[in-house]
Amino acid sequence: MLRTGQKHHRTAVCQPWQLLVFAVGGRRLAVKALEVSGISQWNDSIPVAGRTPFVTAVIRQGQTVLPVFDLAASLHLTVQGSRPLCLRVKHPLGEMAMCIDEEIPVLHVFDPAAIQTYQGKDLPAEGSYTNGLDEIPILSISLLGSTV
Amino acid sequence: MKLNDGLERLRHCASNLAEIFVSIDEMRLVTENGQKRLGMDIRESMTGTPPLVSPSRYLIVTLGGWYLALNAESVCGLLTLEETGNVENLTVHGRVHSALNLADRLSLPDDAGGANTRVVLLSERESRGSIRVSMVQGLLDLQPSQVLPIPLQFRGAERQWYRGMILIAKSVALVLNTTWILNEQVSDLESSGGQEALPGIRRPPELL
Repeated sequence: MLRTGQKHHRTAVCQPWQLLVFAVGGRRLAVKALEVSGISQWNDSIPVAGRTPFVTAVIRQGQTVLPVFDLAASLHLTVQGSRPLCLRVKHPLGEMAMCIDEEIPVLHVFDPAAIQTYQGKDLPAEGSYTNGLDEIPILSISLLGSTV
Repeated sequence: MKLNDGLERLRHCASNLAEIFVSIDEMRLVTENGQKRLGMDIRESMTGTPPLVSPSRYLIVTLGGWYLALNAESVCGLLTLEETGNVENLTVHGRVHSALNLADRLSLPDDAGGANTRVVLLSERESRGSIRVSMVQGLLDLQPSQVLPIPLQFRGAERQWYRGMILIAKSVALVLNTTWILNEQVSDLESSGGQEALPGIRRPPELL
């Protein structure tokens, strides 16, 4: 029992992060794969008048209606491509959708030791990693659309 | 004369909504609310055996290209622009229905001015008002479970504006809160940019 527990502990500590790397307005961002619930083609959103910054629309997927977080607008960017994608993420308040560039997201596996603190203030991040000269922030989904 | 004709039609509106709604075009309203039948028309909704749990009735309209839904209990009349005689604040049975600019309050393009434009008379308790919509789609009877809640991510004043969402065709109709529409005090304060003193309306959080 003790040996098994030690093994589990060691596995948890060394477990790599699976990150989905995508682009918004040409800028690369990452999100934990566990927080992604789906990727599909983007369908036109339905505007919802309101006062919540960057949450101004919903999308309908079958019988499901999801709020849209306008990540591109929050970063002062414009989604690129004529066929953008819909990234569905698991927000604590319920599933949420974001419109991202048409570039197909890529799954990366990282050693947690390679994750560093994100120095930028433009988005809520759990950290970042370096890819060449680029620092790629890892989005903190739970903090999207809430006070930091 | 036209106004009088219209007002005459409203005479019994409080006691019998069917008389008012029967004038709506009998347009089939396709929904995707999990019902076995996907359509409903006006006359059908007025007849038939009532279900065990009585549904709520909604008037579906469009404004600025959006589907909006109004609880039919708050609707006491529909008029064409001609019938209103271009009178803004209609007086019906001695009670004034002040004209409210819904498109402006929702920041929607105001496309209510065409041939299909209707003026919807609203009343709730002692409050009365009228709104213009670009088109009336029809009536829809829905069980409470078929009205979806506004997602919690909407955290601002809009939580007071809407009562929920209805799946309609391939889109979504936002169920308007009639109390909010008719509440002039809220309207005035919101249009002046003030939100601090409004009970029940929170300032949206600052993000990022």
